Amino acid sequence: MAVDLERILRPEDHPLEPFEAKYMMLASGEHMVIRQIDRDEIPDVLPYLEPLLHVERDYYDVVCARIYSELLAHYRYRAQDEYVLIAQIEGELAAVVNGRQVSGDLGMSLHTIALRRGLRVGAHAFAAKMEYHIDILGHKEVLVVAESPIGFRRWMIEYQLDKRFETPHELGGVPSWSLTKELFDRARSTLVVGRRPVPPELLAKGGSQDPATVGSTHAPGRLVGGHQVHVRPDGDRPHCAA
Amino acid sequence: MLSEGRRIMRNVYVVGIGITSFTRLEYPVSEIAAYPSMMALNDAGITDVDHLYVANMGSARINHQTALASAVVDSLSLTPAGAAVVENGPASGASAIKAGFAAVASGLHDVVLVSGAERMREVNNLEATDFIATLTHPLAEYIYGVTLPSHAAMFTRLYMEKYGVTERHLAMVAVKNQNNAMLNEFAHLHQPITLEGILDSPEAMTNNPYVAEPLRFFDACPVSDGGAAVILVSEDVAKTIDRPPIRLAGIGQATDTHAVHEREEPTDLLAVRRAAAKSLEMAGLTPQDVDVAELHDAFTILEIVESEEVGFFPKGEGHIALEKGQTALDGSLPINPSGGLKGKGHPVGATGVAQAHEIVTQLRGEAGDRQVNGARVGFTCNFGGFGNNVVCLTFVRED
Amino acid sequence: MAREIYAYKCRKCGHLHYPFRMVCKECRQNGFFEFDIVPLPKKGKLLTFTKVYNLPAEFEVPTLGLGIVELENGLRITGQLEVDNPKMGMAVQGEVKVVRQGAYDKYYGMVFTAA
Repeated sequence: MAVDLERILRPEDHPLEPFEAKYMMLASGEHMVIRQIDRDEIPDVLPYLEPLLHVERDYYDVVCARIYSELLAHYRYRAQDEYVLIAQIEGELAAVVNGRQVSGDLGMSLHTIALRRGLRVGAHAFAAKMEYHIDILGHKEVLVVAESPIGFRRWMIEYQLDKRFETPHELGGVPSWSLTKELFDRARSTLVVGRRPVPPELLAKGGSQDPATVGSTHAPGRLVGGHQVHVRPDGDRPHCAA
Repeated sequence: MLSEGRRIMRNVYVVGIGITSFTRLEYPVSEIAAYPSMMALNDAGITDVDHLYVANMGSARINHQTALASAVVDSLSLTPAGAAVVENGPASGASAIKAGFAAVASGLHDVVLVSGAERMREVNNLEATDFIATLTHPLAEYIYGVTLPSHAAMFTRLYMEKYGVTERHLAMVAVKNQNNAMLNEFAHLHQPITLEGILDSPEAMTNNPYVAEPLRFFDACPVSDGGAAVILVSEDVAKTIDRPPIRLAGIGQATDTHAVHEREEPTDLLAVRRAAAKSLEMAGLTPQDVDVAELHDAFTILEIVESEEVGFFPKGEGHIALEKGQTALDGSLPINPSGGLKGKGHPVGATGVAQAHEIVTQLRGEAGDRQVNGARVGFTCNFGGFGNNVVCLTFVRED
Repeated sequence: MAREIYAYKCRKCGHLHYPFRMVCKECRQNGFFEFDIVPLPKKGKLLTFTKVYNLPAEFEVPTLGLGIVELENGLRITGQLEVDNPKMGMAVQGEVKVVRQGAYDKYYGMVFTAA
């Protein structure tokens, strides 16, 4: 029967402490909000990632393809203990980061993709992810890999991650690095930035922009902020055929 | 005829200019040099030149292309005109202009095309940093891991201690130039920044981290691809071209010790001082006559120090003039209206030519929203090495 | 045997140079290689310094300390700095060690620590 089959196919999620939204000021003077999204907002995010599937530069195509599939899997209940954080600048989607809890002690950082460049948006979003794993979920270490040289320089070199080459990362076959709680505490002043709680007027900002323009100029897409759900014309089906 | 003692030189005019966007350009470097050249030729309405100089620093190492000028002259179908590359590190552009000037002023040629181009982003950032570092002294600097940012940083620390320049002053240069770049359609960065965002806010250290203490992320120019071109002609040829008469009236160049630690006075940029003085003297002008300037701000500290060494402000007071807004677009002496290297980008070989492009645009009155009103005398400073090879140019509008 | 870094003393006028140049800066009168080598003193005063974050790929460290030191005999040298909290004017002493490792070559240079 369909219900029993779905129960078998669907992994069981453990309860994860939520990420409390925070905000920060960027070099441009604009404010950026980083908040966690639930499954229901994923269909709103996916259209903004799509154009980046075709951008070869800096491995955007690989990262986008992978994070797109991870978000979709999370949305369709085919991934376990995954979380998604998004960053919005005055309501416009600026970055998406995701990861998983492997066990109570171990986190797996999956991807970071920045739609707006030149303002260290990716750096802020990655740091928020690490804060989530270590400070909020209480993991003792987080496994990290990088697809692009930029990512490698910003994370592996800057934070002096431990090599864990003998441990495979879920992304398959690549050498893993680890951010341990010890490394995190040492870099705390640069890793834990941003302020809480987010003022209501920042959360409420929204707007409209055609997702098709994302990627061609790397202009940010717009997403309705807060917890409003954007209802799309074809109801709540994911936009990609199963 | 300009004469100086026994030296007799013809007057040299700039009649055509061209520039590409400074960004990431996925074209062969020869095309990055040829495209603005084509624009300059169209601008002047010229189809033939006597000689082509191409300014470039890294095509051999980064782009696997040597003899770049030979490639460009054919790409433009300008053969059998002579062609050669001029390499002088980051001062390649102005050095190529000097070579073109000498050719026309001496009477050897009547029409010389000078193009500058660089394609740095064919390699990743670590490679690009190392490539630039090869201009340092191989035994006394390079082996230690000295990079250009580290030179600028050590120099900045000395300047802060001696003259009271602060991180805020550096950030003010960055904000001014990036905001100027917003008005320049060819600029690399079209991202306004604020002092609060890069310096004051609680998140400033993540927005603007140190790259070499005390210099921070926004104190350094971006790594860019791009090209620019100018056409230098004799007075007779200039008279046949319907463009405002802009004369390249002065050129000055000076060198200094290769190893930065051997400089006489650690806080001086003597080569800038000497090159600027020679350039203005040749033009028969003083620093006070200059209406607009493009200075070489590969690092924000350099704009401040160069503004003093070229004679605009007393030594040690450049940051005070900056504070007062004198060097802003609406100030008494706008510096880097194009956004400078910081805002518009720094394709190394192209920069010196791009500075000339901006000054000629300003003197022609064609700079749109970033026009410095009534500008008739313009000045550029192209800073090679870390201040050991500097070329300054003075341009004058003559109608 | 401690390694040395050498200054070059003009045989005509005695002017000391570091690093090497072909022609004496002071008198310009010496022929090629008309220099005597003189080991550089190892003690000096730190004139300026920095901590570099964006290093060429060969350096596998996240940051590098660099400084310009004025040595006891008045000559200046650029070197690596292994000092936790450097201050301008502090006394430092140098040792010649490996400062850079290429694919197959080791490069030796002066590394300074607090004196």
